[in-house]
Parts: sequence; C-alpha cells; structure tokens
Amino acid sequence: MEDKEKLEGQQKGRREFLSCLGSALACSAAAAAAGAVTTGAVAATAAEAAATEVPPNPAIPGYDWTQHRWAFGVDATKCIGCLRCVEACKKENNVPLDAHHFRTWVERYVTLEGEETARIDSQADPVNIAASGSESEYRFADRYRDAKVEQAFFVPKLCNHCTHPACVQVCPTGATYKTEDGVVVIDHTYCIGCQYCVQACPYGARYFNEETGVTDKCTWCYHRITKGLQPACVEVCPVGARIFGDRNDKQSVISQFIQNNRVSVLRPETGNAPNVFYVGIDKDVS
Amino acid sequence: MPRHIFRLILVILVCVVVGYSAKRFFTLNSFYEYGHYRGDSVADIASDKPKFKGVGYCASCHAKQIAEWSNGVHNSSDIGKIVKCEVCHGAGGARDDRGPFEASATGADHPKNLKMVVPTDTRKLCTFCHERLTGRPLQQRQIVVADHAGTQQCIVCHNPHSPKLNLTPVEAAAQAGDPIVGKAKAAACVGCHGAEGVSRNLPGPSLAGQNATYFAEALKAYGAGGRNNPMMSPAAQAINAEDASHLAAYFSGLKCEAAPASDAQAASAGQAIASKCTACHGADGRASNGAWPNLAGQSKDYLINAIKAYKGGARNNGMMAGIVKDLSDSDAESVATYYASATCK
Amino acid sequence: METLLNSAPFTGYVYPNETMIPWTVLIVVYPYLTGLVAGAFTISSLYQVFGFHQLRPVAHFALLVSLCCMVVVPIPLLLHLGHPERAFNAMITPHTTSAFAIFAYAAAFYVILLMLETWFVFRPHIVQTAKKTKGPVGWIYRVATLGSDDLSEKALSYDRKWLFALAIIGIPGAHGLHGYVGFVFGSLKSREWWSSDLMPAIFLFSAIISGTALVIVLYVVSCKLRKVPVDLACVKVMAYSLWGFMMFTLLLEGLEFASMVYRGREGIDVIMSFVKGPLLVPFFILQFGLGSVLPLAVITFLIWRGTSGPTLVVAITTSACLVLLAVLMMRYNVVIGGQEIAKTGKGLLAYQPPIFAKEGLFTAGCVLVLPFVLLSILVRFLPPWHESDPALAKGAL
Repeated sequence: MEDKEKLEGQQKGRREFLSCLGSALACSAAAAAAGAVTTGAVAATAAEAAATEVPPNPAIPGYDWTQHRWAFGVDATKCIGCLRCVEACKKENNVPLDAHHFRTWVERYVTLEGEETARIDSQADPVNIAASGSESEYRFADRYRDAKVEQAFFVPKLCNHCTHPACVQVCPTGATYKTEDGVVVIDHTYCIGCQYCVQACPYGARYFNEETGVTDKCTWCYHRITKGLQPACVEVCPVGARIFGDRNDKQSVISQFIQNNRVSVLRPETGNAPNVFYVGIDKDVS
Repeated sequence: MPRHIFRLILVILVCVVVGYSAKRFFTLNSFYEYGHYRGDSVADIASDKPKFKGVGYCASCHAKQIAEWSNGVHNSSDIGKIVKCEVCHGAGGARDDRGPFEASATGADHPKNLKMVVPTDTRKLCTFCHERLTGRPLQQRQIVVADHAGTQQCIVCHNPHSPKLNLTPVEAAAQAGDPIVGKAKAAACVGCHGAEGVSRNLPGPSLAGQNATYFAEALKAYGAGGRNNPMMSPAAQAINAEDASHLAAYFSGLKCEAAPASDAQAASAGQAIASKCTACHGADGRASNGAWPNLAGQSKDYLINAIKAYKGGARNNGMMAGIVKDLSDSDAESVATYYASATCK
Repeated sequence: METLLNSAPFTGYVYPNETMIPWTVLIVVYPYLTGLVAGAFTISSLYQVFGFHQLRPVAHFALLVSLCCMVVVPIPLLLHLGHPERAFNAMITPHTTSAFAIFAYAAAFYVILLMLETWFVFRPHIVQTAKKTKGPVGWIYRVATLGSDDLSEKALSYDRKWLFALAIIGIPGAHGLHGYVGFVFGSLKSREWWSSDLMPAIFLFSAIISGTALVIVLYVVSCKLRKVPVDLACVKVMAYSLWGFMMFTLLLEGLEFASMVYRGREGIDVIMSFVKGPLLVPFFILQFGLGSVLPLAVITFLIWRGTSGPTLVVAITTSACLVLLAVLMMRYNVVIGGQEIAKTGKGLLAYQPPIFAKEGLFTAGCVLVLPFVLLSILVRFLPPWHESDPALAKGAL
C-alpha cells in the first residue's frame, strides 16, 4: 500500500516535473521567439533590402577586387641573398626592426662536400646578425668561405597566401581573412592577439607585434597592389627573383612564370594550397 | 512549480536575451558584409600610403642621374638586373627614422621636407650585392672586398649610377702600328720627350714603355680637344691615326728608365699612399690594362703636375679626380717620387 | 630595443619568426586549470549521477573546487592576449571553425552550469543563512535565495531533479570543454608534436586525473585543518578512480608518442634528440617516471595489499601530489615543448620563461594559487562539509 502510494507519488512528481519542464521550455521558447522576432524582423527587412542589391565592393578608389586574382612567384635560381627585399619590406610596412619579426626573409641552403642535407641559415641567424653589426640591417656572413661547398643557393620566403589558409581557419574572431582577390590580410582593429594563427601557420609566416598587440604578416603590400604598384620586395629586388602579378591576365609575368616553368610550392601535403610558386628549390627546402 | 524554480528560469531567460541582444548590438556594421570579417577593413588596409615611389618619381627632378643610370649597367633590363634608386637611397614616400636609411629632416615626403640619403659608406652598401658570397649565382658580379679595393670606398672608382668601368679601350687599334715607321716619325718628339723616350729633365713626360693604347688615346685626345696643352694640341693635330699607332708601337717597345733613388723616405711614404693606385696602375707602376698609363719611371714633376691637374679639373677624369681628391701636396710628391724611382722592366 | 622576453635562442634552423615563443607559461596554466575543473567535476558527478555514495563527503567540495578553478580560467587568457579589451570579439562574432571561439561559448555555458549546480546544492544552506545573517552579506544571501525560502519536500525534489539534469549535462559539458582544449593543439598541421587525433582524449583524461588528485589532496588537507578524521572509504574510491583513469591516460600518452616515433615522419630525428636531450628530465623523469609510473605503482600496491588507515592516506596523498606535478609537466611539455621544436623540423629552441614579467613564472604561480585562495573564502560562505552542516546533511543532494 505504502509502496503503491509512493509509486503514485513518484509518478505524480515526475509528471509535475515534466509538465513544469515543458511549460518552462514553452515559456523560454516563447520569450526567445519574441526576442528573436523583434530583433530578427529588423534584420529580415534589412536582409531583404540587401538581397535585392549586391553589396558594393570595398571602397578602394579605382580598384575592383573581383577583377584580380593575385599570385606570387619566386625564382630561387636568381636570388643573390642581398636582403634588400627584407629591409624594404620592413620599411614599407613598419615591421619591428629586430631579428625576430619578419614579413619576408631569405634562407640560404649550403650542401658541403660529403654531407647529404643542406645546412640552412637565414639572415636572422646570430652569426649573420653579428656580421651585419645590427639587428636592423641584414647581411649574410660568408661563413662557408673556406669550406668545400658542393651546392649553395638562396630561397626567399614570405606568406604563401594559401587558398585554404590554416591561419584563417583558426582565428576565433574573424580578424584575419582572405580577400576576394586572393590576399590574406589581418584587421588590426579587430585582432585580439591570441596568436593562434601564429601557431597554425606551417610556414612560420606570421608573427606577433608586441608593440601593437596584434599579429601581423606579409600582405603582398595590399596598399600598393590596389594602386597598381608592385609589392615593396618585388620593387626593390635587383635581380628579378620575385615576381608578382594577376593570374586573370594570361600575359602577366606571373601567368607566364607559372605556365613556362615547372613550379612547385612549399609543404603541399598540408592541403593549404599556397599561392607562392617556386622555381629552383630542391628537396631540402620546405 | 516552486517559486524559486520559476524565478530561476526567468533569470536564465533574461540573461540569454540580454546576451543575445548584446551580441547583435556589438557586432560591427560592416561585419559579415563579404565574409566572416569586418568589411570596412579591406578599404582600411588598402588606404595605407606607399613608401617606395619608384623610378618615375625620381626622374622628374633628377634627370642627370636618371640618364646616367638608364644607360648604365645598373639598369640592365635585358638580363633582368635593375637597381632602382630607392634601393640605395631609401624610400622616397615617407620618413622612416627607425633604420639605416634615416631621413635627415623632419616631415613626411620627399622632396618637401624629406632629404634622401646619399650613402657615404658605399663599401658597406655596394657589398650587400657585390660581395663574394657562397650561394650567390656566379652571373652576379662579386668581389672579395679586401683583395679588390682594400679599404677604399667603391665610389672612388665606380660611378654608382653607371658603375661599369670601361676596361676595354674605346677603340682598339685596328692593327698594331709599325715601330720602325714610328721611330722615323718620332724624331719630332725627341726635343721634349727625350731621345729614347726618356724625358729626364725635359718638359714632356717619358714615353718609353708606355702602353700603346693609352698613348694612341692620349694623342687622339690632344688632337680632338679632350686634353688641352699649348704644345701638344697643335702637335697632335698634325698626327693622323695611322701615324699615332706607329708612334705608339715604337714607344711602347722602348725601355723606361727609373730615376735614381733620391729620397728614400718620400719613396716609402709614397708607396704606402700608392696602395690606392695599384688597382689600375699596378703595384709596380705597370698598368694591368692597356687603356691606363704605366707610371713606372715617369718624370716626377710630370706626375705631380698631373695629380694637380686632376684635382683642379684641368684634366677631366672623374675617376682620377675622385682618387686624388684627398692627396695633399706632400702626398702627391711622395707618390710621384715613388713611381719615378720604381723599377722599370 | 627593449628585451624581448619571449625570444628563445636556437640550434639548427628555425624560421625567423619562430624565435619569439607565442604561447608562454600562462598558456600552460590555462589548460591545467581547465583540466582541474573537468576532473573535480567528474568526482562530483560520480556521486551525483553514478551513485558512488562513498564520495558523499567530497562531492560538494569537489563542486566548489571546480567552480573556483573555472572562474580563474579566463585570467591567464586575458593576461596573455595582446588586446584583452577586445576579448569579447570571439563571442560577438565567433568564427565557428576556430576551436577558441567554440571554447569561449563552451566555457561561458559551463561556468553558468557550475554556478547553477552550486546554487542548487547549497540552496538549503543559503536559505537558512539568509534568515540569520544581517548586513550586506545577509543581503547577498537573500538575493541568492531568489526571494523564496521554500525548503519543502516538493521544492527539494525539484532541486534534486535539476541537480541530476545539470550533472548529466555537465559531464559532456566539462569533458567537451577540456576536449576542446586538446583539440586546439591536436588539430594543427604545423607542429608534429601537437598534431594528433588522440590529443583531445589525452588532455581530457589527464584532466580527470589531475582533478581527482586535487580533490584527494585538498580533502585530506582540509580534514587535517578541520581536525576531522579522513573518510577512508571516500579516499579509497577516489584512489581507485585515479588509478583507473591514470592507466588509461598513460596508455593514450604512450600510444601517441609511440605512433609518432613509429611513423618517423620528416623531422623525427630532431624530435628524438629533443626528447632525449632538453626534455629528458621534464618528460621522461618528471611526467612519466615520477609523476605517472611511480604513483601508479604505489596505488597498485595499495590496492593489492588492501592497505588502509593512515598509511593509505599518506601514500594516496603523496601519489596525488605527484600526479598533479605530472599533469602540470604534461601541459608544460606539450605547450612549451611543442614550441621548442621548430616548425622547420630542423631546429630546436630553448625557452627560458622570465620570472617577473606579465607572462612570467611569478604571474603563473599567482594564477595557480588564486583558485585556492578563492576556495578558502568560498567554503566559509558555502560550507560543503556534512559533519558541520545538518541542513546539508539531510538536504537536497
């Protein structure tokens, strides 16, 4: 008898609970719906209005970003390792003038006699910084002068502006993004400086600017290319190792470069689909 | 439902609504316009001012340098090697006081209040590209700096806008002249230049053992007015190119004569100073290139006068002017003593 | 140029931008704290949901531990950000492909869940204290009652149901929260040391053992402070849970490392030289040896011998301390160790954390200590001990 009462009591309790929960859900749904309807109504009318007209392209004077598909080429057979590109980029883009923050850099690969893999250094290597005498001027030290060198060459590196950028994928706020013309840039007013993108980039192209508190990287000098200029590094390279242009134009230097050479990219296995195309790199370059 | 449960649900609902409204309120207007980012930032990024202006910007005022550069080897567009102005002079579009190309004036823009840098340490600047370096493609002209120029600045010999030195004679002699014919014609020269081309105390310089190409060029310059001398100019005008080549062949075959060692101290001082001359004129005073004159055994007074003429501009040679610019009179005398007594071979 | 505190010297070849270590000791502390949250909540749930009645003495205490750690979790993150004032951007416009954005919402959801659960557990106490206390503190209690002093059986049964639902939701909540932290590292393609499908599971299970170990240590310490005998059955159950979860954690961590070595991808020789060199003490000795194998052996021995009494308490507590150390070392080895292996696969960096800097060891230490300071204050307002609080003893649970 008691058990039955208890069971009934439990069932009643359960029913009450469920009905209460149900009414709570109904209340919350109604409230949420009411809230959503009022805020959504405003958005809906705006969206309707917007749907009938295409959103205007960004207000860049004299530039239509739907007309361009930018790409970059590097001819590593030509690079002389003069590092004018590194210094020009730092000047053009206010990059911190030390050996730890670079939008672009140059690597040197030297295979000595009897060794199977190349020895690699960049202009940021302490030996090279000591040779240049300053962290803001860059020069490669001639450290292999007395060695038996089998092969040696320079490889300029920069952000690859991947088609499937890992950095954009991991950004929590949407501060870094890829533009319609193929350039991956950073909104410095929106970045919170978590540096997740710095971790995610397989190429080490990004860095954190301690002074501004946001991350930064090569933008292919977006402020120059939208004015018909070349990126600063391409502008100053004295030997034509860096090539930049519009793939939509089949006659542009970059289209010709890609078409006429067997070009390769860095770390294709990541699936990022980089848009910097290399000629003249070898197995040791990654 | 107990009161507290009802009120709790109410509190939760209020929080959710407030949170969602805050999210909508704080989302910036242009966000989501083109994608998951602030649409206005594209134009923001594109609106930055470029700092590097390009060659066209310089050409409007610096026509002379642009002309030198356009025809020079630093503008070899055929082989894709172009050294633009801002590579050496810094960005023309904005002041950047953070690094090596620090502007020397306040302000933002060249030429308004921004002076471009004229690099002084060319030995540091030029060697960024031209220092011999492992990994540098061999098509790139590169030198071992210490062996090439010692401690000299590059611009002592090289015009940075058109740096290639004219190492080959402008016009190589069509055919070498005949020294026997030259000897016959040289009779007219003996009075000032000496019987065997060794001048000793005569007014003219020694000609014995002088490079034939240089000799012929000098005569041509006197005849055409590039070099000016009241004696030599009319004399040279009377000598045609063929005769000049005969004379050059004759004199180049003669043996020069070193002056007796007079002032050993001056000579050794001169040898030290002459280290900047050796690149072209040779350590022993015999030039490595036929276009440049041998100095060994040359008349000391002639050498001193030549140095003065280069310094003052009476003789017009940019390269020589640069090299002798800092020579004092006593330096000039020391150098001249050294070369005058240098062993002739 | 001011000293670049997060720069690291290197050997071999590293990308120039890698010489600045992006994630410092604060990012070691943050997953550690999140892990303690998940682990302590697991102990609480073992009682609430899975009916481990022996855990009654610590169930509510574990909840408070979880809550105190959870409210401190945002602090190391905010200290690390370049623009902490913009931190809410990740919630205003969350980029859903980013583990950080999802984590922001998961953390917000979870802290609310924890607060709700704490409220339900302590409601009888809050209601009673609200009646007795005067002044501003009393006012806080009264607000917390939501104006209801209903402690009838009907009300308490509602509370029980809510608690049960919250605890059930909270298990995937806590585990998802910390699993996401593992996913932050495991999903990246750029670092061989991090890139692993097992990373969320590894983080999760090491979180559970760290939380369990923390509850053990804090419970024993609090018993000593309150001069109350330690409930041996409770400690035993916690030890068994610790033992079980530790075995699984060791299995996962061992599997991950073994897979990496076996596959031997490009860069593995640099990784191996790193593990056998600079990482030898932190990884093999501290994390694996001292921190995992030793406590596991000790607890195995205790279980096998059926030890009880003060020996059990001392041995378990010591083992728990070692486990806490092990999990902290694990976070350090993953976060800092991973950044010391260059993305090039051809170089190694050597990061020396600064001591007195915004992101230095002292700050990290303070952040680690803070939850316990908060806990010591909170237990005075919401005492979780059944011996002292009859209301709780009969109460909602």
